[in-house]
Amino acid sequence: MDFRWDLIVEYAPLFLKGTLLTIGLSVAGILIGAVLGLLIGLGKMMRKKLWALPFRWYINFFRGTPFMVQILLIHFAVVPAFLDTTNGILAAILALSLNSAAYVSEIFRAGIQSINRGQMEAARSLGMTHGQAMRYVILPQAFKRMIPPLGNEFIVLIKDSSLAALIAVPELMYWGRAMQGQYMRAWEPYLTATVIYLVLTLSLSSLLSLLEKRLATE
Amino acid sequence: MKKLKMFTTVLLVSLALILSACGTSKTSGDGEKKTLRVVTDAAYAPFEYQDKGEVVGFDIDFVKAVAKEAGYPVKVENVGWDPVFIEIEGKTADIAISAITITPKRLQTYDFTVPYFLSKNEILVPKGSPIKSAKDLEGKKIAVQNGTTGQEAVEKLFGENNDKLKKFENNNLAILELKKGGVDAVVADNTVVETYVKNNPNDNLVFIEDDGTFEKEFYGLLLPKGSKLKADLDKAVNKLLENGTYEKLYEKWFKIKPDIKILKEQQ
Repeated sequence: MDFRWDLIVEYAPLFLKGTLLTIGLSVAGILIGAVLGLLIGLGKMMRKKLWALPFRWYINFFRGTPFMVQILLIHFAVVPAFLDTTNGILAAILALSLNSAAYVSEIFRAGIQSINRGQMEAARSLGMTHGQAMRYVILPQAFKRMIPPLGNEFIVLIKDSSLAALIAVPELMYWGRAMQGQYMRAWEPYLTATVIYLVLTLSLSSLLSLLEKRLATE
Repeated sequence: MKKLKMFTTVLLVSLALILSACGTSKTSGDGEKKTLRVVTDAAYAPFEYQDKGEVVGFDIDFVKAVAKEAGYPVKVENVGWDPVFIEIEGKTADIAISAITITPKRLQTYDFTVPYFLSKNEILVPKGSPIKSAKDLEGKKIAVQNGTTGQEAVEKLFGENNDKLKKFENNNLAILELKKGGVDAVVADNTVVETYVKNNPNDNLVFIEDDGTFEKEFYGLLLPKGSKLKADLDKAVNKLLENGTYEKLYEKWFKIKPDIKILKEQQ
């Protein structure tokens, strides 16, 4: 097999630009998704069933429909309805963060509910309010348990960001496809993209295991 | 225990489903010619598109007629634009028909039959747009389908991979982007653009020809390099061009008469 290194060299600046955008999209998606996810997770745990209903359905919708459908819907229908024009980067960030918020909210809920009820009772009997007990006792313990599943979700998010190529957002996969379209070759563009995605996801998982070690108490 | 049994059953059933999905295609009767696998990207009306799940269009009718003339049964499969080239390069498909322009670059990697279609790029813009020719596209945002000659034409004018160019998965998405105001123009094949304008008068889009800038292109059936089918298929294409079948199919799909002379001159 002949492998055309020169094509990769030619496309290297574009791959670099694309990688930076992929990182940007992913970071934005992770941050917005995490904040939104926390709020939605707390919303779903509300005692009043009726109030929790919209949150429950938010999760049902974003978890129950393919990301590809969501990104096309947001890019070609939702964003134009508000802006009167399309905006690929905005649509990609919206789709990524709204989608990941659904998964993150369930991770938060699971983390919080995994803490023994006795912890809350003990904190309350020491005179803490419900909020204080959450802030100082439950959440710090829950957070530690959430890191592995959160890491999972964020890695999925980085990979999902490649679907932004569908709506011509010039991220990593977009340039891989552009290169494939120009030279009609499969190995060079897709293998390059593979390696870069792998580097991105591996860096993220090592960052997360570092954080895990930092927070370890035993 | 019961749960485990249930799990195993589900696993086995799904495995069986997966296997049965793979196992159907490779049967070949003895004595008969083998069924040719034809791949296409069915997002390119009226050449090839899906009508309620069935791949139809001018190209599909034509490739079926060509195969019949050459004496082969065919099975047409929609695989998407980029996979078309990967399948032909890897010889996992025998023929690709997808309004594919014959270019010197593609001829390095693939074979083509004799040309069966004349095409040129045109510009699609909203009514009242200041764009009147290819020159006016300078500095404007343009959408194309990734890997098409429309993209090549625009990149030849304004530089490769320039910021104003958005490459989409297919022309439908590119035109949708234009309708939603994300770009100022779409550059694509004349038949695609004109059919769109004709079928969607309410979208208020118009097409612009620029024969001075956009070169004529010829479509061929795409074959793997060194394909043994080429001689047979070339003969069949010529036969259809001569015996009126081609003209009939062309009029059925495009409602205008084809220029057969210019196709024959290209051979």
